Amino acid sequence: MIAAFGLLVGVLLGLFFRPDVPLGLEPYLPIAVVAALDAVFGGLRAYLDGIFDDKVFVVSFVSNVVIAAAIVYLGDRLGVGGQLSTGVIVVLGIRIFSNVAAIRRHLFHA
Amino acid sequence: MADEWDRPLPDHVTTPLLTRITEESMDQDYRQVALRKGSSPQTPRARRPRLVAAAVVVVFGVLVTTAAVQTSRNADVEDESRATLISRVNTERDSVAKEQDRIAALQNANIALEDRLDNTIADEQTATSRLRRLQVRTGYLPVTGPGVRIVVDDPPEGDVTELVRDEHLAKLVDGLWNAGAEAIAINDQRLTALTAIRNRGPAVRVNSQPVNPPYVVQAIGDVNTLQANLLDTTHGAEFFDLAEDFGFRIDRHNEDELTLPGASGPRLRYVRAGTSETSGKEGNQ
Repeated sequence: MIAAFGLLVGVLLGLFFRPDVPLGLEPYLPIAVVAALDAVFGGLRAYLDGIFDDKVFVVSFVSNVVIAAAIVYLGDRLGVGGQLSTGVIVVLGIRIFSNVAAIRRHLFHA
Repeated sequence: MADEWDRPLPDHVTTPLLTRITEESMDQDYRQVALRKGSSPQTPRARRPRLVAAAVVVVFGVLVTTAAVQTSRNADVEDESRATLISRVNTERDSVAKEQDRIAALQNANIALEDRLDNTIADEQTATSRLRRLQVRTGYLPVTGPGVRIVVDDPPEGDVTELVRDEHLAKLVDGLWNAGAEAIAINDQRLTALTAIRNRGPAVRVNSQPVNPPYVVQAIGDVNTLQANLLDTTHGAEFFDLAEDFGFRIDRHNEDELTLPGASGPRLRYVRAGTSETSGKEGNQ
């Protein structure tokens, strides 16, 4: 409940303030969002499993975002940014899908 | 050592990568923390307000919104630049088509001009060869060839009335023309259509230039027939009769190669050369 409320507040804040992302960080924002999405779904699944823990959630969220952005940044420096971000998206996408599948099993028992 | 090799490998080594990713899609930490907590009796988890987690979710919402806003904002710019690019591409394509049309037109014009050039060159060659033919015929070009050299000299002991005169030389020249000579010169004076052989006093003038005896008449033509034909012609026969009467000294020889000078061109005062343009047009028509 509080999480859904937080999400709503966050969206409203973002719409209201429209924070400007520095130009240098702009390419890494989408990948950071995907990493955050993974962490959020992981947390949701853990919650439904009954093993949720704030600390683990916060740590996994922050580290996911930072590491994903850092990998893509490193790839950009090495000239393989496109390929590396594809790899990150594939891994995160697989994780998101299997997490969502587990959540679905919990919610619909199917 | 052998024991270590025999031992089965751990799961995280043998499992395929994709399977591992799918199985560990949820962070292992949740489970481990839960196990640790499960062993300890007190569970304050449920009561504790999840403020930190809520704050992180707020951050997540801000992130997602920002990314979406940013993307939609950039979309406008990208659409605009894309539209600009498309219009530029179309404009350039039009101009390329125009240029290609121009290329085709220019190539056609080139072909036409080349045809004209070929025609003009052919005309020029025809004209040049015609000019050379005319120059040889009319005597304005030096020529060489086989022919006859006839040396005519005054009689050794004759008075003024018995000298070689213009009419004698004219008869000889007429005979040579009739016998088939193609070019004739007297003492290096080439005979042309304008040549006159005239006496002024005792001296003979050819082309208004005085010539002195012995008169060397050179004629280019067929060496096999020229002398015989000369005797057959009226003028030739008359000349030799006169020569016998007056006692001219005559020396006739066939030569393998005679070189005749060209006549100095007449000074043209009223005739003008046609310009190349008009001749080219006439050639095309």
